[in-house]
Amino acid sequence: MKTFEEKWTAWLDGQLSGKELIEFEATLPDLAVAEAEKRDAQKLGSFLKQQLGAQILSNAEFFSHQLHERIARDTQDRHRPTSTWWTIPRLVWSGATALALFVITTVVLMNQHQPGEQSEYLTQILNSRVDPAANPNATIYIFESKNDNKVTVLWTEGLQTLPADYAAK
Amino acid sequence: MQLRPLLLAVFFALAVSAVSADAAQAVWSGLVIAENVPQPTPIPPELTKLEPTLKELFGYNQFEVIGQSNKTLKTGQEDWLANSKYFGLHVDARGENDSGYALNLKLYKENDVLLETDATLSKSSPLVIKGPQVGSGQLLLVLVVKDDEQAHRRRHAEPANPITAGWHRLRRIIHNVIP
Repeated sequence: MKTFEEKWTAWLDGQLSGKELIEFEATLPDLAVAEAEKRDAQKLGSFLKQQLGAQILSNAEFFSHQLHERIARDTQDRHRPTSTWWTIPRLVWSGATALALFVITTVVLMNQHQPGEQSEYLTQILNSRVDPAANPNATIYIFESKNDNKVTVLWTEGLQTLPADYAAK
Repeated sequence: MQLRPLLLAVFFALAVSAVSADAAQAVWSGLVIAENVPQPTPIPPELTKLEPTLKELFGYNQFEVIGQSNKTLKTGQEDWLANSKYFGLHVDARGENDSGYALNLKLYKENDVLLETDATLSKSSPLVIKGPQVGSGQLLLVLVVKDDEQAHRRRHAEPANPITAGWHRLRRIIHNVIP
């Protein structure tokens, strides 16, 4: 057995029909006033549906929304560049620069010892002079011995011959 | 933190050993008369290693030292004189580099300069200068870098320092790689 309030609510919502509707409307003191009240209630209901219905989220929707936002944030963080100086292009350039320096240094070191130049392991004669007044025809040659002693020889020709007395100790 | 003093000590030991090894070298400089005689005297010990080369180059059978000097070089800036009665060889060392000792040599006959030369004397390459003819012989000037005898004896008496040995081995390898 429904109460009056239940029937009133069902009538406002348009849920009553047939014999039940006729009996309920017969119990109303002023049907016209009740009809006006019904229209107002329906207007109010539709207005509230329009204003509030889009914003209200159920719990499942709320968590789903939070989850999507979190995933989007994580994806952005992963794609954001790190703050280290050693980026891939810089690594490539650094490697190329080091390689170029190595090649240049090697070439310079290799070219320091030209073919035909005296080795640093041999004694080097930088310059030689004889007294031109006393030895006008003197000539000087420089060469290295062919054997394992690696002797550097400064060979003079045309020096003035001295008497045997000069061999004294 | 404890590694730094250890590294400093190792580098200091290397530097000291390298310096002491380099400092223990002497230059033997000699005035030599080469002659052909019927009964040649034995060659002086300083020239023993050079005997085949000298004989091959000059064709004499006797080499007599008439003046000599054995100078231990500590700074590479020393100068010295090897004298005979009439000749004098003045050697002025003007520093040391990787190639050897920079030397200025002057051969004097009494007060006259017969010959002057600038040379870099390598530690592994003796220098022989052919001087004037003297009677039937030939005056030769010989300069040889040799290890100081005391250092040589000390090195043989004491066991080898592994750090020094390693350092010398590394230097040899680098010299071989980059001649």
